[in-house]
Amino acid sequence: MKMPPFVLHSPSSITEAMSIAETLMDIGEDFDWISGGTDLLPNYKWHLNPKSSVISLAGVQEMSMLTSTHIGGMVRIHDLCNSPSTHPMIRQAAETIASVMIRRSGTVGGNICLDTRCFWFNQTEDWRRSIEWCHKCDCDTSADCRVIPNQNTLCVATYQADLAPVLMCLGATIHLVSPQGERSMPLSEFFELDGMKRNVLEDGELVSHLTLPKEAENWNGAYRKLRLRESWDFPEAGVAVAWTKGGDNLEGLRIATTGCESIPRLHEEEASLALENWNGAESIKELGQAIRKAVKPVNNTYFPPAYRRKMLPVLVKRAFAGLNSEAEVLS
Amino acid sequence: MGGAPRQSFDKTRKDGKRVAGQQDFGVPGSGGSSPESGLQDIEHIPVSRGGQKEQPRGPHVHDSHITGTTIGKPTPLVDANWKMTGQARYGDDIRLPGELIGKILRSPHHHARIKSINTKRAEALEGVVAIATGLDSVNSFGVLPVTKDEHAMAQDKVRHVGDLVACVAAVDESTAIEAMATIEVEYELLDSIHEMEDGLEDSEDPIHDRGKYHIGESNVQKRVFQRFGNLDGMQDAAASSESDWKFAGLHHGFTEPHAVVAHWDPSGRLTVYTPQQVPHYLHRALSSVLNIPMHQINVYRTFVGGGFGGKSDPFPHEMCAAILARKSGNPVRICLDREEVYWINRGRHPSKIQMNVHADEEGRIAGIETDALIDGGAFASFGHVTTYYNGVLHTSPYEIGGFHYTGARVWTNKPASGAMRGHGAVNSRCAVEVGIDDVSEQLGVDPMTFRLANLLPPHSRTITGFRITSTGMRECLAKVREQSGWDEKFRKLPFGRGIGVGCGFFISGSGLPIHWDPENFPHATVHLQCDMDGGVTVHTGAAEIGQGSDTAVAQAVSEVLALPLDMIRVRSQESDTAPVDLGSYSSRVTFMNANAAIRAAIELRGKILKAAWEMIGYHPDQLVLGDRRIYYKHDPSIGVSWIEALHKAQADSGSLIASGSYRTAPMGGVHKGAAAGLAPAYSFSAYVAEVEVDAETGFIKVVKAWAAHDCGKALNPLAVEGQIIGSCHMGMGQVLSEEMKYGRNGHLMNPDLLDYKIMSVHEMPEVVPIIVESNDPEGPFGAKEAGEGPLLPILPAVCNAVYDAIGIRPDELPLTPDRVYKMIEKKCKEMGLDDPTDLPNPEFEASDLQEVIAKRAEEHADRDLQRDLLKDRSSYVNGVLFGFDPDLPLAEQDEGWREAITPSQDDLVDESKRAARAWKHIERRHRGDS
Repeated sequence: MKMPPFVLHSPSSITEAMSIAETLMDIGEDFDWISGGTDLLPNYKWHLNPKSSVISLAGVQEMSMLTSTHIGGMVRIHDLCNSPSTHPMIRQAAETIASVMIRRSGTVGGNICLDTRCFWFNQTEDWRRSIEWCHKCDCDTSADCRVIPNQNTLCVATYQADLAPVLMCLGATIHLVSPQGERSMPLSEFFELDGMKRNVLEDGELVSHLTLPKEAENWNGAYRKLRLRESWDFPEAGVAVAWTKGGDNLEGLRIATTGCESIPRLHEEEASLALENWNGAESIKELGQAIRKAVKPVNNTYFPPAYRRKMLPVLVKRAFAGLNSEAEVLS
Repeated sequence: MGGAPRQSFDKTRKDGKRVAGQQDFGVPGSGGSSPESGLQDIEHIPVSRGGQKEQPRGPHVHDSHITGTTIGKPTPLVDANWKMTGQARYGDDIRLPGELIGKILRSPHHHARIKSINTKRAEALEGVVAIATGLDSVNSFGVLPVTKDEHAMAQDKVRHVGDLVACVAAVDESTAIEAMATIEVEYELLDSIHEMEDGLEDSEDPIHDRGKYHIGESNVQKRVFQRFGNLDGMQDAAASSESDWKFAGLHHGFTEPHAVVAHWDPSGRLTVYTPQQVPHYLHRALSSVLNIPMHQINVYRTFVGGGFGGKSDPFPHEMCAAILARKSGNPVRICLDREEVYWINRGRHPSKIQMNVHADEEGRIAGIETDALIDGGAFASFGHVTTYYNGVLHTSPYEIGGFHYTGARVWTNKPASGAMRGHGAVNSRCAVEVGIDDVSEQLGVDPMTFRLANLLPPHSRTITGFRITSTGMRECLAKVREQSGWDEKFRKLPFGRGIGVGCGFFISGSGLPIHWDPENFPHATVHLQCDMDGGVTVHTGAAEIGQGSDTAVAQAVSEVLALPLDMIRVRSQESDTAPVDLGSYSSRVTFMNANAAIRAAIELRGKILKAAWEMIGYHPDQLVLGDRRIYYKHDPSIGVSWIEALHKAQADSGSLIASGSYRTAPMGGVHKGAAAGLAPAYSFSAYVAEVEVDAETGFIKVVKAWAAHDCGKALNPLAVEGQIIGSCHMGMGQVLSEEMKYGRNGHLMNPDLLDYKIMSVHEMPEVVPIIVESNDPEGPFGAKEAGEGPLLPILPAVCNAVYDAIGIRPDELPLTPDRVYKMIEKKCKEMGLDDPTDLPNPEFEASDLQEVIAKRAEEHADRDLQRDLLKDRSSYVNGVLFGFDPDLPLAEQDEGWREAITPSQDDLVDESKRAARAWKHIERRHRGDS
């Protein structure tokens, strides 16, 4: 497997990275950011939208800061797992990511920005030629979508990263930097429902870091992931649930999913509805059904979509296991 | 040197030399008085488990050649250090000066006629040295002489996505890739076939044309029919299990992708470096494809990074490398990418198996009816054999009243299926073992007891005529029963947790070589060569593929000659120096090659002892080979060192060489197909698996497996245990997660190791390997195979455990969570349940029959022991349990007894049977229109 050639740039600060990006953009040169490379490089080897230039963020020290409320984009998943300041929910999700070796390289920023995945897309060039390409990587053929044929507007490739739903439940804010300046937004607003566009990042923009509100430490919860093997596999469906309690009462409730659609999704409506008339196990069951209805997985990952949907209520129930053990919250 | 017995204890002679046999000698392992090798650390000599082990099953022909050196001792493989230090050179590690990189252009279509190929632009590209297409290689090849249906590159049409069209040799990989993009191929698309049932029908454009041998106008490549016994009245059997199984196709998933380096040297000879399991067949194929005599080819087997059957065909890319090397004049290296490995495939056949198991009121297996349709993909490969194996390999270990098998293999436009660990036996074994659990349940008997009461004894014959010599089946079952706590667990575990048993039966070396007549040529030959340094070089063609064949051969020689393993050097890589060996398939290497090695070593031993006789005056009968020393049996102080005896022998007769070979005894029936599944010995195994099933999600977790395997004698228990655990991992992959998934347009969706789900270490349970030694009368020191048989039982053991856990009997593999969940959903719907955890936990209540068969099992245990010890030498054939006289032809004793290999019209009336449909076509030559 031969990677296409590219020019590698290695800035040592965000400022320098931005100036390289600006220069490349000025001369109309396409480029990708690379952090851990565990997502990008396999895609490059398969000739999936490779670019002629790559800017490595490995030397940008300032992006590796990690505190209980600040997670740099270049923080390794491995470090996130092992830092005492990491929120237990984040640690739980991080520990399920890929494999030990991949977690050593993979970064938080890379995980958040993970390219969407699809059976018809994540294949070698020879293979994709045999299906006459797909529109996520059409090689100038204006190919159609292979998952849902006869529509070539929307890409339904699936977002299969683990950190986003947990960070959403903890109210994370994402911070972006571009040559034009900086901007921030709630993580839940970062993603865009299109397997190709994926998120709001503009050309030359990168994820510098995420922040968590101080009150995140008051939130408890869990992340549950559906996958065949306990290592390597991407989530076929993932549910993060977080709650806060005032005394014996459930005060706050958030729930988010991943691996079901082209974006991870924070289900605010469903959560507030459940919280309003909280009735313990019954509410959990209803919430599970509501989540099941709220997402529409398509047939482009390992498990069939019907199964993935059916497992959502189970994942929701199991994510609430920690709450269940506190019997007083259940009525 | 004295020819007479020792006269005095004087160690000095008048001429100042020491008297032979009377010098001081060091501790064992020091090399006697020879200063050439140092002391061995005795602490590191592992405890002997074989040489001194009591043999409950009686003596063995090789007993007198056991010197206690290595046999039965856990021995690290002799090539382990090469691998552990990263110095082993695999296919793609071979670097020759001036090499070019070869790349293969493959078909993007399932089935298409090639109208034209234009390579002009590619040829003009700088750095491109040679291009070849189908025109450069018109001779066909194939692993089996009867089905040579492959070419180096497509001749007229491509038959699956990934089929070879052209190849390019260039100065580097990028140039070769660039060149491929400029080759213009014009295709005319043809209808493609992806469902195996469709292959049974007539087609306008069959995937292959076999001329007058073509079966109708269909895509049936091979069909088999076998009917043995009396199957009348099966509809009234006391218990019947009918199932319709679907097995997904599998790939071997070896670590090393195929790679090859071909080089024509200045003397005009071709050397092909390749990780091959079966170098000799490649040797033959290269000769016919390239139109050069075999003596002009040297096949060099590199280290093999996993084979499992996936490297046992001669491959088109190997031909391509040789063709490109010939055209370019440079060495050419080709290494396949992972998806190319999947396109070459040769993995387990996707299969649909209809399995009926019938039991009578006495708890005997009255009949087995099997209909197996297997999906061969685009080429024949080993498929001819696979079609037989799907039937004949489940005629044992049980005694059965009747056997009816219909099998068919069809071509489809998929990567070709072929041989994979447990070749042909795995799927139908799973189906039959699950069927046996089902009839046990219906009869109200414990499936463990049911199996124990229906086993064929040692020294018996199966219904289709296989000769069973040793069998440790009973001991395997007894051991897993005891160690797993079966009696306390079966049907007594809480809902969601279950235990299950499964058995296995496999050939230990194919009795008939594929390529020649065993009456004239041996199956295996080993040459030994011994020089002044005292070490022994073993020349063998057996392909070391990681299974430890080099070690087994070295051990055999080391044992007979009482030499430490580090004095044995195995040269098994080159066809130039190795005697012909048929290769590493059908679990034949240890049995056949070690037997040949023992014979060679005995010959060499004779020469050495003769020399020692002349030196110390005792007849070889009175001499003992100890550690690098030959001494008088009754007084070990009298002796000569190995090296002294060796030098004497060489002084007498020149360089010391010896040769040994092995061929199987004549055996088997006379019907067509009788040779399929015939082996000089068979291995037996029994596993118990304990599982947890999450009824809410369908996830199955195997908690623990007890794996007993009868390998005859564990020459190297370390390697046997490794094979058992490895087989268990591979079989668990098939039962739980591995499958080649084809998308709605027939594309292979997961040609990569992320989505082709091989179990990770997290899913691997604790496996308790249990070695059972039945001391096979013909095996080397009693040994039989251990590489494939141990895979078989894990599948049914897991399936049966799933039933014990949640009361659902699976009939589709792999048992991925989504499939299991579907089965659970269906059952819940049938029972009107909302919550799957409310499903009933299966229960067991013993019927009166339980006691009857338990008693029979006990009697049989005694019967088997008597036969093992050869105290009972009466003949025994399948049928005695049903009251037949073993010494008369069975057909004479039962009017309804049939032995048929072609179906009658009555056999084909059941429309629901799939493979039977293959028999509705008439072969063209019998049709009268061609």
